[in-house]
Amino acid sequence: MSAHATATRILAGALMIAEHDVPRDARLGRVEQWDSLAHARLLLALEENLGRLLTPDEAVAIEGLDDVAKLVDAKR
Amino acid sequence: MNLPGRPVSIATERFTIRSHVPTDASDRWCGWSGDPDIMGPLNMPARRSPRDQLAKYIAQHDNDRNYLIGIYSKAMGQHVGFYQIDVGKLHRSAGFNVVIGDKQYWGKNAVNETRAALLTEFFERRGLEKAWGQPLARNFPMIFNYKQQGWRLEGIMRGQCLSIVDGSRLDQYQFGMLRDDWRALTKAGTKS
Repeated sequence: MSAHATATRILAGALMIAEHDVPRDARLGRVEQWDSLAHARLLLALEENLGRLLTPDEAVAIEGLDDVAKLVDAKR
Repeated sequence: MNLPGRPVSIATERFTIRSHVPTDASDRWCGWSGDPDIMGPLNMPARRSPRDQLAKYIAQHDNDRNYLIGIYSKAMGQHVGFYQIDVGKLHRSAGFNVVIGDKQYWGKNAVNETRAALLTEFFERRGLEKAWGQPLARNFPMIFNYKQQGWRLEGIMRGQCLSIVDGSRLDQYQFGMLRDDWRALTKAGTKS
């Protein structure tokens, strides 16, 4: 599974929507379901995937699907 | 009590926001201070406050240099949460802190809807030129709120405070909003 596909799966789970409903350019503030609680779910799920806590620099930089994919990719 | 400043009273689409008075101390509010889900992200001990102690705390806020401002649901009239705002008159700046105690409003944009009204109030009618907030780095919902509202990340304060849970050092962010930033955001229609 590509980093982008993994990121899409993680984001879909956090937003509680189907993976095919996640826009490729999904960004905080542009997806209705992406609220503050979904954001928390996203960061926690990402940490679970990475197997470590996000650094403060990483956590605050996450604004879109691409940012999630970059972190997933960097783990590989 | 609550002297010498001007109490805040604002209405938004879903909320009434007004300065607290000691008689606002309620069992509901006292309950929030005993809830670890609410107090944990603030790094504060979950210890239910007695009502009279809460009333005394409210009375310490003068609506001039420090404010304690309640958020009330228009639909139900219920107390939803509150802001604690400390104003530095010399520098025309203020630190904004917010607690949403009613969990039904978590994830419902209650913070940004009400904070937008408060930013306009303080920037345009109370002489404020800079607002700042310092959420803990692990307070992910609050980070979302600051970013969504257009606050600027001004820094990461590493190991800024001690965890009340395990004594480890906790990181904090500083987000800031200048009056001119806010005017530009409101003009662009991206305020909340």
